[in-house]
Amino acid sequence: MTNHTNILAHRKLSMRPGQVVLYAAMLLLSFVMLAPIMLALFNSVKLENQILSANMTFFPRSIHLDNYQYILERSAKYGTYFKNSLVITLTSVALTLVFCSLGGYAFAKLPFKGRGLMLAIILFMMTFPLAVLLIPIYIMEYNLKLINTNIGLILPIVSTVVPFCLFIMRGVYMEVPDELEEAATIDGCSVFQTWLRIMLPAAKGGLAIIAIISFYNVWGEYMLSKTLVTRESAMTISVGVTLLKGEGGWQFGVLGAVVTIAMLPPIIMFMIFQKQLVSGVMSGAIKG
Amino acid sequence: MTTKGYQLSRRQRIKGRWGMLFVTPAFLLSTVFMVYPLLYSLYISFTRYNFAFDPSPTFIGLENYIKAFQDKAFLDSMQVTAIFSVLYFVFVMIGGLALALMLFYAKGRTGLFRTAFFLPIVVPLSLSSFIFNWMLQKNYGLVNYFLADILNMGHLTNEWLSTNPWAMISIVVVSVWGSVGFEAILFLNGLQALPGDMLEAGIVDGSRGFKTLYHIILPNLRETFVVTGIWAILQALKVFIVPSLVTWGGPGTATTVMYMYIYRQSFTYLDMGYGAALGFILSVIILGLSLLNMRLSKRS
Repeated sequence: MTNHTNILAHRKLSMRPGQVVLYAAMLLLSFVMLAPIMLALFNSVKLENQILSANMTFFPRSIHLDNYQYILERSAKYGTYFKNSLVITLTSVALTLVFCSLGGYAFAKLPFKGRGLMLAIILFMMTFPLAVLLIPIYIMEYNLKLINTNIGLILPIVSTVVPFCLFIMRGVYMEVPDELEEAATIDGCSVFQTWLRIMLPAAKGGLAIIAIISFYNVWGEYMLSKTLVTRESAMTISVGVTLLKGEGGWQFGVLGAVVTIAMLPPIIMFMIFQKQLVSGVMSGAIKG
Repeated sequence: MTTKGYQLSRRQRIKGRWGMLFVTPAFLLSTVFMVYPLLYSLYISFTRYNFAFDPSPTFIGLENYIKAFQDKAFLDSMQVTAIFSVLYFVFVMIGGLALALMLFYAKGRTGLFRTAFFLPIVVPLSLSSFIFNWMLQKNYGLVNYFLADILNMGHLTNEWLSTNPWAMISIVVVSVWGSVGFEAILFLNGLQALPGDMLEAGIVDGSRGFKTLYHIILPNLRETFVVTGIWAILQALKVFIVPSLVTWGGPGTATTVMYMYIYRQSFTYLDMGYGAALGFILSVIILGLSLLNMRLSKRS
């Protein structure tokens, strides 16, 4: 502890001007990183002629909510996209939580024959580009008449997020001490009861992590959604946005508002759970 | 003793059975939507199967694979992907490391900067591609506005999305923007895992700042470089959303990457046998490069 403070004190004395430069650079970079997000937000509160005019500005000169009002009152289409995204995302996150909280425990603490191989196969799948899997999935869903349905999107999307989340949960369960489990067994708990009453509460942090990771991955999913859905009634916002361009002339303000609303859910989730997310990505990736 | 041993193994067996039950949902899903599609895809890559015309796949051996290497457009897309990958790899690795080092060396609060650096990770790529497409437009784009009206350097304005090499540079920038934060998290994790006395030793030796960085910190981040490197390669070779939404593969085919070409063969022309073969060529490249990266970093 004292050593550590010594280093810090030492550095502080020798690098003062450096720190100023460092913070200035970070400020500038922060602005660059946030500029695209801010642009969508700012354009969404401008009037149409303030976006396209020759004397455009980055920051809005005044705030108008006309574009949001337009979405609410005039366009059922955006509502459909959002509804689909919401239904698909929430269901997918729920399924991912169930599959990975169960599977992760087995891969961490319940050895059975072929377990290692099974885990290896699931992880190996992660390296294949979705383009290879997309064709058979499309044919399969075409034959089963699952194209243009929510469930037809949910299942393959969940299968793309499960491997990574499974791996994170395995890591989380492995860190739970064996003694906890043994104590439960001695108390007469069955494996299922041990999982439900002891392990699941102990792995709460991990569940939060995979909930966030699967949330933003599903919300932003593009490939499967673009391929397996052709009808507007089943489309999600991440694909729907890309089709909005032409409609009714170029309504940039409205587009800005749609993009802003579409970015909001993952951004809010991120703001709330940033710490867990960062540590979760770290643990998952490092053990991977 | 024996009874206890017996009981233990019996408990192990019960645990094993529960284990199988517990992995069943995840394994079933992976089998139906990953293992089976992969095998089926491998099969149709050896067949002629146009989803629009052919009622069923016809076995044609290696014809699709041979065709691929004579298909100039595909070879072009491979070259485009290679150029993109090299540029992306260099910038996302240097950028990720730089952001991580800044956060690591900063002694005050960094919370807001972390949020700013990491936030783009969660913004859906299709949305950010859309915004960047907007920013890079010639007449009303933010970038040209910034150059001309703020910096008064009108001569630097450009048609970013429809001229070479700017279209390629644009998709590299957008891709790096979207993922550099993730690389930064991985690098930051590597940096924070370095033992404190290692850094202290560097200071005692009189090597400070960039010297410590070069001689002590970077060599000890080897494992991190493997993880970040593999991740960057996978991202680069799988690039699809950004070029298809920011530059639409253009100008001409200047930004038509492999993934786009494969997607077009499979789902625009519905030539699924050929598309599957191309997909496997890409997969082999991805696997090969990931293994190579692991090897190289183990040796050094």
